[in-house]
Amino acid sequence: MIVLRNLATIGPQHAYQIATRLQQISDGLLNLNQGTLYPALVRLEQYGWIKGSWSKTESGREARFYAVTVAGQKALRAETEHWRRTSQLIERLLVEGTRA
Amino acid sequence: MIEHFARAIAKIRGLFRNSRTEEELAKEITTHLLYLEDEFLRQGLPPLEAHRQARVAYGGVEQVKLAHREERSFPWLSQSLQDIRHACRSLLRSPGFSVAAILTLALGIGANTAVFSVVNTVLLKPLSYPEPDRIVQFWLNSTEGSVPGSSIPDLRFWMQYAEAVDDISAYDLNEAVLGLTSGMPEQVHGVHVTANYFRLFGAPLVLGRTFTAEEDRAGSGKVVVLSYWLWKRRFGGDPRIVGKAISLEKEPYTVIGVTGESFRTDPESDLWIPFQFNLNSNNQLHSFGAAGRLKPGLSLSQANAQLRLSSQAARRQGLLPDPDFAFVLEPLRDAIVKNARASLLLMQAAVGLVLLIACANVANLLLGRATVRKREFAIRAAMGAGRGRLLRQFATESVLLSACGGAVGLLIGLLGVYVLLSISPGNIPRIGVGGASVGLDWRVLMFTLGISLLAGIVFGIVPTLRVWGPSLYQSLNEGNQRLGSGSSQSKKRSLIVLSEVSLSVVLLIGAALLIRTFLALRDVNPGFNRQNVFLTEMSLHGSQFATTGNVARLVEDTRQRLAGIAGVELAAATCSPPFASRMGLPFAATGTSSGNSGSTGDAEWMSVSPGYFAVLRIPIIRGRDFNEQDGEGAPGVALINEAMAKRYWADRNPIGQAIEIGRGIGPDFADRPRQIIGIVADTRDHDLTEAPQPTMIIPLAQEPNGITRLWLQFGPIFWLVRTRIEPHHVVVDVTEQLREASGGLPAGRVRTMDEVLSGSIARQNFNMILLGVFAMAAMALTAVGIYGVMAYSVAQRTHEIGVRMALGADRARIRNLVVGKGMLTVGIGVIVGLAAAAFLARFLAGFLFGVRPWDPMVFIAVPVLLTMVALFALWIPARRAARLEPIEALRVE
Repeated sequence: MIVLRNLATIGPQHAYQIATRLQQISDGLLNLNQGTLYPALVRLEQYGWIKGSWSKTESGREARFYAVTVAGQKALRAETEHWRRTSQLIERLLVEGTRA
Repeated sequence: MIEHFARAIAKIRGLFRNSRTEEELAKEITTHLLYLEDEFLRQGLPPLEAHRQARVAYGGVEQVKLAHREERSFPWLSQSLQDIRHACRSLLRSPGFSVAAILTLALGIGANTAVFSVVNTVLLKPLSYPEPDRIVQFWLNSTEGSVPGSSIPDLRFWMQYAEAVDDISAYDLNEAVLGLTSGMPEQVHGVHVTANYFRLFGAPLVLGRTFTAEEDRAGSGKVVVLSYWLWKRRFGGDPRIVGKAISLEKEPYTVIGVTGESFRTDPESDLWIPFQFNLNSNNQLHSFGAAGRLKPGLSLSQANAQLRLSSQAARRQGLLPDPDFAFVLEPLRDAIVKNARASLLLMQAAVGLVLLIACANVANLLLGRATVRKREFAIRAAMGAGRGRLLRQFATESVLLSACGGAVGLLIGLLGVYVLLSISPGNIPRIGVGGASVGLDWRVLMFTLGISLLAGIVFGIVPTLRVWGPSLYQSLNEGNQRLGSGSSQSKKRSLIVLSEVSLSVVLLIGAALLIRTFLALRDVNPGFNRQNVFLTEMSLHGSQFATTGNVARLVEDTRQRLAGIAGVELAAATCSPPFASRMGLPFAATGTSSGNSGSTGDAEWMSVSPGYFAVLRIPIIRGRDFNEQDGEGAPGVALINEAMAKRYWADRNPIGQAIEIGRGIGPDFADRPRQIIGIVADTRDHDLTEAPQPTMIIPLAQEPNGITRLWLQFGPIFWLVRTRIEPHHVVVDVTEQLREASGGLPAGRVRTMDEVLSGSIARQNFNMILLGVFAMAAMALTAVGIYGVMAYSVAQRTHEIGVRMALGADRARIRNLVVGKGMLTVGIGVIVGLAAAAFLARFLAGFLFGVRPWDPMVFIAVPVLLTMVALFALWIPARRAARLEPIEALRVE
């Protein structure tokens, strides 16, 4: 989900970029290790939500860039909606809890 | 939803594109690492340090790859393949172990497959008719058993009263041997049937039609339906055969139809002839089978209840001799396999036990191996293999072993079937000619596969249990040799030996009981002399034998011709020789202990030519034997056996009393009054296990015409010949004379009386041989098991023994230590086995004769035998232990 969001906003990235980017936005709170990132990429790709392709980076290295597909964008929207609703629900429950 | 589907497809694709994906993954990781390295370089670290830090930051490259792989495809699948490869390698590394385990299993599985093939064919395969479960056979049952066959009045009654059953048909219980005399004469198998028969069994037709009701009526023309096979073989598949005449027993029959290729009946038949019953007959001869189809929507129990309701009417008509009797419907398949079922199930159970013992042995081997491989497993665990993974590895090895065992076992099973059939008594129903119907089908394959996997699980589970133990890591530190087998380990092995011993005891006791039964049967005095006697049979169909007079003349002429052959002492004829079926008839006699009024009782009935008792050396106890003067015109005479004299005359003298046989059961049986002229000794010529039945005997020449006609319609006449020399030397001359005397009829099925007698106990013999073989196999396996465990234990305790010896234990003491420990296990096993056998013996009671299920001799002899075998198996490792040199034993490290 986070990976998907990230790719959708910034555009195609390779594994290293995703890893550093994730570390940045979560302020080091979420230190995803590579053992989690790679399988996640595989899963997303198998779902057909992202697509990996090889190309040159600005520094001239060959790297696999991952881009969000149309299906991926649709899934992202659905997921975002789902999470928003869930978090609203949780929020409301928490507020109720403090009132009582 | 769709994404899961896409993922599944991707995973399946992932199975095949391994190497490329691996390469790309490696490249991707390298790039990642390079970026990290750049990062650290920028932070000012020296290149080497940056390289190192990048790796540290990244984490375990291999772990990432592994996680990637697991996500990418089905990890368990590739792991299983990996497990199998590993298992193959590890089994190949210890070929001795593998061969021993696979062979043990293969023998167990093979024996099971062989027995199951027969069980499958006989008991499980559905009959080859449409809706076979709805075909039911009629029986006349009493508390003592069932009467084989039905009579015409029975059939008439059922047609009238058995409303729940359609298409009631009659058919011969045994195929008749007929001479097909058009062209090259040959003997074919024919079955008499009623017109409904073909509809009942759903016979397909390739040509013509089957009998009409008119053609089945008494006195109609002679017609015949041919089987597909006879039509192809004998008539070259002539498409214009319908309407042509063929000659059977020298009489012309018109072919009206040919059945389809798939139509197979039991008994198997080449052709079918209409019974042409006179349905008004009161003939009480129970001579044919009757079956029908349950009406749609009715269950068997409903139909039986309906039939029971009519028993009042049946009793009024005199069809049920006394209140114990009742008509019963039974599924046709049960009726066919009735006698074979119990013995086949017994064999399957016995052979199952053998497989269990085989499994126990393999478990034992595996357990030993597991101990040796403890280090291997500990290392693998230390390197990160989970317990589940280790278990799977072990299970894979077990299943691989059992699969190999199963494959070899299947081959052994196929061979085993032939062995089984070649020693079988030849009276197993449904197996076809020479067991041709017994073969591989999906059921047998599934069975073999099933028991192989089951066996794999059974023997695989014991050694794997230890993987769960807490000591997995400890074993790395253990000095393997000294503390090699913990006490739980050796307990487990003892338990295996214990169960092997008890299973063997059960099998051995079963076998011993059957051996005793067989010996008891062989020692039964049948009451006649079987040396130098043989018999042969001849079908006498056709009009020239329609009267007793004609038959009697043929018999007399033939007896004289046979007596003229050099080497022949005497010959006689009868319709019911020893161990052939006999009919029972009611009689009324004077001077009996039960008074003189009406019917006195029922007794078995037979007619014989003069010389019958002399041929079989059956003594005449009182009075005289029949002679040539007791002919058609002479006064009626009869003999009775001792059992009959005792039952009905008790201490009075029956000789000279009058007897009237078969009164009131129809004109065919109406007999003249006879005088009892003698008492013959009892014979056990029905079944050796049965006490002699009251029997009355009349001269063949004085038989009522009706009985002669009936009897010859259903069965052949038997010639008994006593020879002065080895019977086989005169067989050719005798058959030649028979053919001449009868005007060219063939005589067949020559058997010596010895063969007849052993044929009558063939089933017991078969049971005994089979169970004996299984029990021996079980004992051998058990001995190997005991030896294996103790030899292993001695090897493990070499050091300990060395210490004991060094401390002063002498050799005898060491030997006794080993033997004592082993015998304790064996002793407990024997006791458990005896208890189990005592419980199970009751199921064997039906197979026994002359020995009780709890025969003390058997229950003492078997433990003694097994203990001796166990001692022998223990002796070798014990002696090895005693011969150890203390110094060397201590040096074993």
